[in-house]
Amino acid sequence: MAQLYYEDVQEGSEIPTLEKLPTTRTLVMWAGASGDFFELHYDKDFANSMGFPKVLVHGRLEAAFLTQMLTDWIGDRGELRKLSVQYRGNAFPGDKLLCKGKVTKKYVEGGENLVECEIWVENPAGQRITPGTAVVALPGKRSQVKRSKS
Amino acid sequence: MTEEKRPTLEEVKAFIGKKKKETLEIDKSMIRLFCQCIGDTNLKWQNTAPPGLITTAMISGGALAIEVPRPYKRSVAAGADWEFHKTIKPGDAITTTHEFAEVQDRSSEKGPRVLLIYKSTHRNQKGEVVAVSTNSIMSY
Repeated sequence: MAQLYYEDVQEGSEIPTLEKLPTTRTLVMWAGASGDFFELHYDKDFANSMGFPKVLVHGRLEAAFLTQMLTDWIGDRGELRKLSVQYRGNAFPGDKLLCKGKVTKKYVEGGENLVECEIWVENPAGQRITPGTAVVALPGKRSQVKRSKS
Repeated sequence: MTEEKRPTLEEVKAFIGKKKKETLEIDKSMIRLFCQCIGDTNLKWQNTAPPGLITTAMISGGALAIEVPRPYKRSVAAGADWEFHKTIKPGDAITTTHEFAEVQDRSSEKGPRVLLIYKSTHRNQKGEVVAVSTNSIMSY
């Protein structure tokens, strides 16, 4: 995986889009892998009783997709520091979801190269159903990411 | 069918400050299942947990850990924030303290609704904070 350096990004730089196609099978896997067994994500009758036409993709699964988009982008020496998401719309099994983002700010703080990003998950209608923000730390071409790892 | 009795807002607010602590040992199979599910094939995650693992309900799902009754029939996740301070590795034991932190009345012309906010601090077996998180549930 290519390494991204602080010098490589500018405000407005786009994060490579990550495409996902969660299915009902994905939701079953996610329930088991994440410990989220809320019926809204596997019981259609329950989803109907809550006012939804079918079961919903877990918001946290969309958040996890966004973390993958970011870690794919920043490379092995970059570090994800913050992630914030709002679940504003719904995704359904079978929807092609596009994880997207762009750089909004870059700055050095405490000797670290930090990059702020606007991120979002887009549904097939082009709506940003899960918008958010993220902060990543990147190595410089002549420096390392400062934080020590456990 | 009879409607389930719902707590008043004041009864829900009485839960503010309620905490729960739980410990989860992170193993390789847990990380593998997570990566298989989201389709992340990065080899780096063979020896390190991806930060996304902390987004899972089993680690940062405060609303699942602390059972606060919902004031209205419907509820959905509204949002979440995570700060990642240290890398998690297989073999780490992550102890999380969840706290029911706040109730925000978000009623509008659409009807009554509240935001239930939970805060969690995640520490490794050395007592180091590896992450902090907030998640919110909209009850309406």
